[in-house]
Amino acid sequence: MLSRARSNVPKSTGDLATTEVDGFPVWEVFAQKKQGAIHVHAGSLSAPDASMAQLFAREHYGQDQQCISIWVGPRDIFTADGGEHESYEVFVQWVAGYRHEHMGEVSANNGAEAKTKCIEQFTGDKDYFTIWSAPVSKLTKIDGCTDMIWRETTDQSYRLAKGYSRVVRKKWDAIRAKDAVDAYQEEDLEDTF
Amino acid sequence: MSASANVEVNAKDFIEEDPIKLAAFEKHVAEGGLIEPNDWMPQAYKSLMLRMAEHHANSEIVGALPEGEWITRAPSLLRKLALTAKVQDEVGHGQMLYEVAQDLGKSRNAMLRDLVTGVTKYHNCFNYPCPTWADICMIAWLIDGAAILNQGTLAHGSFGPYIRTMRRINMEEAFHFKHGEDMVLTLMSGTDKQKKMAQEAFDRWWDPSLAFFGPNDRTDERERPAMKWRMKTATNDELRQKFVNRFAPAAMATGLVINVCKKDAEGNVISAIPDPLLKHNEETDSWDFTQPDWDEFFRVIRGNGPCNKDRLALRRFSYEQGEWVRRAILHGATNAPCNN
Repeated sequence: MLSRARSNVPKSTGDLATTEVDGFPVWEVFAQKKQGAIHVHAGSLSAPDASMAQLFAREHYGQDQQCISIWVGPRDIFTADGGEHESYEVFVQWVAGYRHEHMGEVSANNGAEAKTKCIEQFTGDKDYFTIWSAPVSKLTKIDGCTDMIWRETTDQSYRLAKGYSRVVRKKWDAIRAKDAVDAYQEEDLEDTF
Repeated sequence: MSASANVEVNAKDFIEEDPIKLAAFEKHVAEGGLIEPNDWMPQAYKSLMLRMAEHHANSEIVGALPEGEWITRAPSLLRKLALTAKVQDEVGHGQMLYEVAQDLGKSRNAMLRDLVTGVTKYHNCFNYPCPTWADICMIAWLIDGAAILNQGTLAHGSFGPYIRTMRRINMEEAFHFKHGEDMVLTLMSGTDKQKKMAQEAFDRWWDPSLAFFGPNDRTDERERPAMKWRMKTATNDELRQKFVNRFAPAAMATGLVINVCKKDAEGNVISAIPDPLLKHNEETDSWDFTQPDWDEFFRVIRGNGPCNKDRLALRRFSYEQGEWVRRAILHGATNAPCNN
């Protein structure tokens, strides 16, 4: 599924016409390799919904290579000129066939205005090939701070008890009084947890 | 997951020991000293410790079988990763414990053969079926939870290699347990269908969890070799009470009902009524509860449980399928030229 979606990415026209593979929407994935680096287009995948897209992105692009943050969004939002007034992430592809690179965030009334602002603020007189803009509200952003599971790709905390402490505590707190949870978890504090 | 140390000492193990050596040994153990494989030890200690480690190892590798079957059906990638890691851990525990047992004088091959031919046993709780994903959740929460309680006490035992292994194993059991807790909480904060599935699995696993710690204590429990020589540091009933004190209120808080269940020969629950004895006892500050069905326990442990034959058949299949590999390795080793 992933490779078929990937092979459908048009190479040189900047046109992202294919928005579905096997009935599933196509999603674009951006990955940040290390602290201070910019988010660069990693590829695409097809998935039934945002949460599956997030999972696939994490498994496929986060597992394959070192990376500390991933953004995922449905393909059609990147090229759309419409939209609401909000913040947009803007990406520039300098040369045909190269990856889109994250330039920054702009506030705009729609996608077209975001692209114009991207030229004003980031590209200036430099030649570029295509520009993508994506409303922040439609991007899923995953990193170690926002998503417990994320860390599995780097430190494998999914196979440690402490990898679950926070999420389990949250679930207990939703259904049980604090002192009862404390009493129950007292056992956990002994040596092995 | 693990076994509780409920292996018996045979009369033949009680050979006449040198009274001076025995006294020194017992003094050393009573003072908290550890025994290493090369130290002098009574024959009965060696024999009992070997059987404990072997039974525990058998339980680890058989326990991985029902869970392994669910890896391909895990509901999400996180669950699949975690379950794969858990199964990998359990088999790894088996590996470590067979090492401990080998040092006490029985070859690994003999232990694996005795397991598949039914000479030795594995933990009784793995003879029950695991028909839904919720069973995986309950096994990880209840059975691994019980294992941690049990092994936490075994880790203060007297046989060095065993307790070192136990500490390492407990770290990993803590992950299994915490992951199980997360899964149970997820189900119980989910839809009615999820809650129903969780309750049905809970009904199947509450009884085996209580029975996990083994039969009721005898009156002379503390004078028996396992406790006298500090191979066990808590009795079965003490551990069972500790388990109920911890898990009964937690289960009820999630919305689960603690039922006394009757099961058919396939392990399906045919009747469930809320435990009439279950209440917090103000006097003892602990929970009263209905004992597990001991008749069923003994029937299952004698080989007539719902899954005894399946588990053993699968284990035997793997053992036989691996035979040519073992032969090839052995054959290769004896004939390979040594170029060093």
